[in-house]
Amino acid sequence: MDLSVLEVLEREKVLEVLQRDKILRSLEEERIRKMKLELQEIRRKGAKSFSRQYSERTCARCQRPLGKFWNCGAVCHGCSHRICNKCRINVTAQEWKCTVCHAYREVKIKSGEWFLEERAKKFSADADRHETTGEKLLKSYQRLSTISIVPPTPPPFTEGPSSGRSGGLHSSRPFTKSMENLFVSLTTHIKKISKSQDDVTADPGLLTADYGGIPSKERRSQSDTAINRPFSMTKAPSLPDLFKRAKSDNEEVQRMAEFCTDEDISPGADYHQEKRGSISSVCTELGIFDHNSSVTGEIELALVYNSTASCLEITVNGCKNLAYGDEKRKKCHPYVKIYLLPDKSPHRKLKTTVKKNTTDPVFNETLRYNIELPLLASRTLQASVWHSATLRKKVFLGEVLIPLHEWKFKDNSTQSPTWYLLCPKPGITEGYPGEQYNGTLLIKAKFTPPSQLSTVANPQREEVCMGQLSILVTGVTNLTVSKYSGTLNSFVKGCLSLPGGRELTQRTLPQRRKSNSQWNHQLVFSEVPEANLPGCCLDLELWDHASFSLAHRSLGGAKLEGASSWQQLLQTPNTWYDFTLPMQASASMKKT
Amino acid sequence: MFCAVSTMTDGDYDYLIKLLALGDSGVGKTTFLYRYTDNKFNPKFITTVGIDFREKRVVYTATNSNGTTGKTFKVHLQLWDTAGQERFRSLTTAFFRDAMGFLLMFDLTSQQSFLNVRNWMSQLQANAYCENPDIVLVGNKADLADQREVQEKQAKELADKYGIPYFETSAATGSEVDKAVITLLDLVMKRMEQCVDKPAQEAPNGEGTSKLEAAPPNEKKCAC
Ligand SMILES: Nc1nc2c(ncn2[C@@H]2O[C@H](COP(=O)(O)OP(=O)(O)O)[C@@H](O)[C@H]2O)c(=O)[nH]1
Ligand SMILES: [Mg+2]
Ligand SMILES: [Zn+2]
Ligand SMILES: [Zn+2]
Repeated sequence: MDLSVLEVLEREKVLEVLQRDKILRSLEEERIRKMKLELQEIRRKGAKSFSRQYSERTCARCQRPLGKFWNCGAVCHGCSHRICNKCRINVTAQEWKCTVCHAYREVKIKSGEWFLEERAKKFSADADRHETTGEKLLKSYQRLSTISIVPPTPPPFTEGPSSGRSGGLHSSRPFTKSMENLFVSLTTHIKKISKSQDDVTADPGLLTADYGGIPSKERRSQSDTAINRPFSMTKAPSLPDLFKRAKSDNEEVQRMAEFCTDEDISPGADYHQEKRGSISSVCTELGIFDHNSSVTGEIELALVYNSTASCLEITVNGCKNLAYGDEKRKKCHPYVKIYLLPDKSPHRKLKTTVKKNTTDPVFNETLRYNIELPLLASRTLQASVWHSATLRKKVFLGEVLIPLHEWKFKDNSTQSPTWYLLCPKPGITEGYPGEQYNGTLLIKAKFTPPSQLSTVANPQREEVCMGQLSILVTGVTNLTVSKYSGTLNSFVKGCLSLPGGRELTQRTLPQRRKSNSQWNHQLVFSEVPEANLPGCCLDLELWDHASFSLAHRSLGGAKLEGASSWQQLLQTPNTWYDFTLPMQASASMKKT
Repeated sequence: MFCAVSTMTDGDYDYLIKLLALGDSGVGKTTFLYRYTDNKFNPKFITTVGIDFREKRVVYTATNSNGTTGKTFKVHLQLWDTAGQERFRSLTTAFFRDAMGFLLMFDLTSQQSFLNVRNWMSQLQANAYCENPDIVLVGNKADLADQREVQEKQAKELADKYGIPYFETSAATGSEVDKAVITLLDLVMKRMEQCVDKPAQEAPNGEGTSKLEAAPPNEKKCAC
């Protein structure tokens, strides 16, 4: 593509068109983004994930139990999961897909992904398959114009006083964006002399009817109308400045991989509880740590224990559908960081390289963690994805926690790469602004199988073996609730969700104790089908009882779930088991 | 099947479909697209500089396999206009790769513009997103009957040879303009579905038609 064949005024006309195209493109990107978020929601609701291990005999989407002879489900061709009747959607008269696969298909069509895939078959060499010609051209304009067009005296570029901290690197406004500002100012300037692309004048009445929108979204439906100005014209840097910065931008990303350690100071209910709240607030203030408003996407990992080298080999294949680390500029330079919790010492941290400008990074990196096999049982693998924004600023993009105590390292099936949904950090979910919930809930649990209860009581119901689940909340550690003296009048609400949608709720009476002393909140759930226990999810929420008709205060909640936890109770029935559950703002808790 | 929607400034649509008009200079691409988006005619001839585009929102009603009408979708059309002149060639063909469907136009009053259709076809083959993209052949300026140089039969034969639909339109009167665009849109919409459903049913030997018989007879049988 040779732009030099164009004369200056022609170039400006084309530039105008490209600017309009860019506006449409950002509208489109936003739409796709929303669509993918919705897809994420659908996936979250009906996904085979860690937290919700499901047995072979339940529908992979709704977790409803499937029968042996009737309503036994069928395998979805898209995902190979067993799906009940209700979770199928017909694509054609003969073919159906499960709800998740169907949603994927829809997104693939509606986002234009199909087109990119088709084109990649023909032009496989293309580095960035998403980039349109218009986009590329706009960039080349930016290069070209530095030679041929003199900007109309841009205002001096001033750096805010706060940005002096890390020198020039810190002020890395993306190159393209600043240039855009410059160009908008340019084109608006040129607009005065040159007429638009074609001379067809639009009906003014029609125009006003079309332009009801917010300024940033305002778009012309006519190709002949004046260019609008979606970006602010201030802060247009001088050209030499821009080049300097464009260069350092690249180098910076490279260097970030080696230097970033700051993001370890992350807020939220984590495995280390020491004063996390205060540190995090300082960090956020300094802009070192940013957590993203939305977490999307998945990460593909494979875990293999290499017994010859005595190390855990974690292969990070890649991620897909990540949120933009920089939502505004649609930028994402992701990398993956791995800890084997509870060890968060910096020298035991593993990291991949940083991939630039992608929300679907491919890493294909194998990270090795030296550890003896028996020790792994007490560890939880934490793989977190970060956007490397600047040298010091990292943006959290999501994480997955994989408890290793039940991991079958000898089993081949567990060694193959698996996609995991990325989750937000439990402690920083929105919903309870201003308060940090952390701490750990200490509980005991035991299951009393039907045989220990009066077996003769219900002979006609022998096919469903009902047992009893007892939960004892004994205390809480490291509870940091602002403005609190230390004495709590606490009570606990518990909600046991059974596979199939049945819910059992219990609530204890308030107990006035010091928050660090022992409690004795007991919840008893009877009528729990023994077979369903592994698929259960227990939500506990700790409340502070208000004395004078004020609303009770939620102090956060915790979850007990996962087949492995329940399995212990089933294996040794009638025995108390201790669990320590990380607490979080319990937005998911149902009001009872 | 389609009808126009008025507001266009929000992201409230289901599909963004990018079509592109190509053909010799002066055949009426710009005028055609203007007629389609705004239903107006401009007799002035202003050379398109390199590239341009227009937009329109339409409602698309899907047809089910049994012929009944199905769901409706909002489609945002981005209609790329290109300059036919040789000096813009490298620029315009670069835009071919981003379009999902093509309006290949010639002037019914110009034999030369018709002869050049073949060249445009090979340009498409080289630059479009795939080897056989969706194309509609458009013979424009049908209203100038007395100046006609290309006969319908001739053009139809060429279209058949390529296996693409053919329309004789007039940007001046608006005749067949909508129909040509709609036909192309419909082809693209169908193509999308095919593309996403294909991998599951793609036979390794490439014989697409035999796959239905090849399906396992006991599909419904429960595996457990
Ligand atoms: N009579 C008549 N004139 C047309 C028609 N379409 C285009 N024109 C005229 O043909 C000339 C060239 O049209 P234009 O759209 O600029 O051609 P382009 O170079 O392909 O974009 C203009 O003067 C138009 O008014 C049509 O259908 N009928
Ligand atoms: Mg034109
Ligand atoms: Zn189901
Ligand atoms: Zn499926």
